[in-house]
Amino acid sequence: MIAQQLVNGTMLGAIYVLVAVAFTLAIGVLNFLNFSIPGLFMVGGMGTWILMRLGWHWSVAIGGALLAAALIALCVERLAYRRSQKSDPEVPLVSSLGFLVLLENLVLATVGSDQQPFPALVPDFNLRIGGLVIGAAQIISLVIAVCLVVWLSIMLRKTSLGRQIRGVAENRDTAILLGVDVGRLVPQLFVFSALFTALGGVLFALNYLQVSAFMGEGIGFKGIAAMIIGGMGSVWGAVLGGLLIGLTEVLSISYIGADFVNITVYGLLLVLLILRPQGLLGRAAAREKL
Amino acid sequence: MSAAPALTLDHLGKAFGGLRVLRDLSFTVRAQEPTALIGPNGAGKTTVFNLVSGVYAPSEGRILLGERDITHMPSRRRIAVGLSRSFQNIRLMSHLTVIENLIVGQHVRASGLLDLVKPFRLVPNHRWRREAIDALAECGLEAYADESVSALPYGIRKRIDLVRATLAGASLLMLDEPAAGLNPTETNAMRAHLELLKKRGVTLLIVEHDMHFVDQVCERVIVLNFGEKIAEGTLAEVQRDPQVRSAYLGDEAA
Amino acid sequence: MSGYQTGLLVILSFNVIAAYAVYLPLSAGQLNLGIAGFMAMGAYTAAYLSNELAWPLTAAIPAGAAASCLLALVVAVPILRTHGIYLALATFALGQVITAVFLNLEVVGAAAGYQVTTFTGPATVIAGAAGVLAFMLLLSRTRFALYLTAIKSDPTVADLMGINVRGMQIAAFAIGAAIAGLGGGLYGHHFSFVEAQHFSVALSVYTVLYVLLGGTQTVFGPLVGAAFFTLLPELLRASQGWRYVFFALFIIGFMATRPQGLITADLLRVFRRSRRAPEAAQP
Repeated sequence: MIAQQLVNGTMLGAIYVLVAVAFTLAIGVLNFLNFSIPGLFMVGGMGTWILMRLGWHWSVAIGGALLAAALIALCVERLAYRRSQKSDPEVPLVSSLGFLVLLENLVLATVGSDQQPFPALVPDFNLRIGGLVIGAAQIISLVIAVCLVVWLSIMLRKTSLGRQIRGVAENRDTAILLGVDVGRLVPQLFVFSALFTALGGVLFALNYLQVSAFMGEGIGFKGIAAMIIGGMGSVWGAVLGGLLIGLTEVLSISYIGADFVNITVYGLLLVLLILRPQGLLGRAAAREKL
Repeated sequence: MSAAPALTLDHLGKAFGGLRVLRDLSFTVRAQEPTALIGPNGAGKTTVFNLVSGVYAPSEGRILLGERDITHMPSRRRIAVGLSRSFQNIRLMSHLTVIENLIVGQHVRASGLLDLVKPFRLVPNHRWRREAIDALAECGLEAYADESVSALPYGIRKRIDLVRATLAGASLLMLDEPAAGLNPTETNAMRAHLELLKKRGVTLLIVEHDMHFVDQVCERVIVLNFGEKIAEGTLAEVQRDPQVRSAYLGDEAA
Repeated sequence: MSGYQTGLLVILSFNVIAAYAVYLPLSAGQLNLGIAGFMAMGAYTAAYLSNELAWPLTAAIPAGAAASCLLALVVAVPILRTHGIYLALATFALGQVITAVFLNLEVVGAAAGYQVTTFTGPATVIAGAAGVLAFMLLLSRTRFALYLTAIKSDPTVADLMGINVRGMQIAAFAIGAAIAGLGGGLYGHHFSFVEAQHFSVALSVYTVLYVLLGGTQTVFGPLVGAAFFTLLPELLRASQGWRYVFFALFIIGFMATRPQGLITADLLRVFRRSRRAPEAAQP
């Protein structure tokens, strides 16, 4: 039934939204396609699982995983982003990829390559409206994603930090001249971006009850697609793109077949890139860095 | 001088959005009569170069190279009809060596498919390389042939940029501030280099702030201010022009 | 040569071919993140031709390369309208779509994979890689290669020099795709099996990674990068599951300290000069 698929698509989309927002912060403000983000997504889910297995309470475990993701993001900033500011545009992309390989293989070496069952933390409670079934975990994910995005959007518009971030996104050199401390702002952005994506990983684990070393790849790459479809650097674009990708994926699985997902999702991305490279809600970029 | 026109600007105008940077600009550069384009900063001199070389499309008016209308000719074809230029902030290809930059500069004279795919650099001392070396040797720069461009001093890079611009065999050469940033020795070398080009029949159009240099190199001067031509003639003539004097606030041109 | 060594050499050969497929457009500043899609195109086309139409290997594999090249030419026109990061992501999406199409194509086995009846030994694969290397070395001595670097440095000036920037970029993209297709065709016939899952994002992305690791300033960079990428994990074999951890640490540390890659133009110049110096000293 289509209404149920729309609900499921929106819920999946909520997770893509968080990842797409993480990418869009890095691209829109720093012009940096940060390939470590799928790795941080995995750190969110897998880190929680590992810490819980060590006997930590779930709330502490989630906090610990988010903290780990933030710390790793600071390393990425130091080693991948800052060091390569004056070199070819592809360089930060490669070293951030190095972090993805590192994180995945660290888990591979310690936990193994199997899917690990994630305990059901949210009671198996289903909300029934008409014929629709909505799981509690789905509702929690959606609420958290919506709250975070609304908060981010307000933060960017209303606070001094938000104005500084937008200033750097607009023109880095001018922002520096106007007294923005880029050396402090950039690490903060990396931490924000890491928290969004790692939280996405936690919510994924809560919903799908499994984690693995490679859980970030498929989701992360679709998060990139969501970000571009919405428009790089636009927070609401990331929301729109994330929901569109989630819906496209769920609808193609149920009406065409699971193996067609990549054709529809990436086909959509390809068509959009050719017809409207700046994305649905984005402005055409003047200059870009890979 | 009654030589044929090398370059004619016919009521040329350019606006970026609402900002008009050039309006109703007409002048002629006669063949083999070295001409300078002067004026205060922001007068539109570099815009003229960008329009003539095709980096921008004009909003109105025509550009003629000799008798030929090149207003709508794609920028990359203009060098083949005899138009070449240098850049204010030297734009040598930083990933290439000096000699490689020069070989790229020869492109219009070696643009067949066979020229493109011939692995000529396997042949020691291939004629393309030799020709580029000879061009360097003419101005005493051959020692730098295999250096990486980015490591060279400013004055050397500037002259290599000029050598590259000449290698296409263009009849009209537009130079954007050839003497800017050069020390007296380098300025002399640059001037000697331009004299050599003049002897070969190349027509020079120069944007320059150094009036001493203009006086030594150019026979005619066109003065721009706020995107319009305010005077034209020999340097002595335009320096007497009251409009020019007020445009420069009496300092540079006086 | 032991079986292990031969096996390693074959993997190295595939990596070298893939590296040059990525390197060629990259030397003009275009990052192709979908090279696996073009390999899949070559692999499936060659496999289909030799399986179903009984084409000989010598025709089927080049035809696979040609099909890949053709596909690149068709998509180049819309895709190369995009620049920089958009181009990289467009190729990324394209690679995903191509692979997913083969994953659903019943005529070549869809998700179950596609058996290839004709087998080709390690010698052919190694010869293929040597051929690609020789071709690239020759190409690097042409104006074409020079123009690609010029375009990467400054497309505006390259255009004013009279170079057809778009034409060169399309050519580099299509020749790169043909090389990828050749690699794919050899892959299918060597392992007697093609499955779409092999031509993943990871394959594309790893290839780009070791090309940049080797360095894109000279034609030797991709060769060194591929060799490094193939051999270093083998050297770390003793560390078992941890070898890719060390490998990743190495990549991060390396890019932080030497972002221009292993092999640079300056490095080669110094090397050439030191070789030339003793000759020059002789009367």
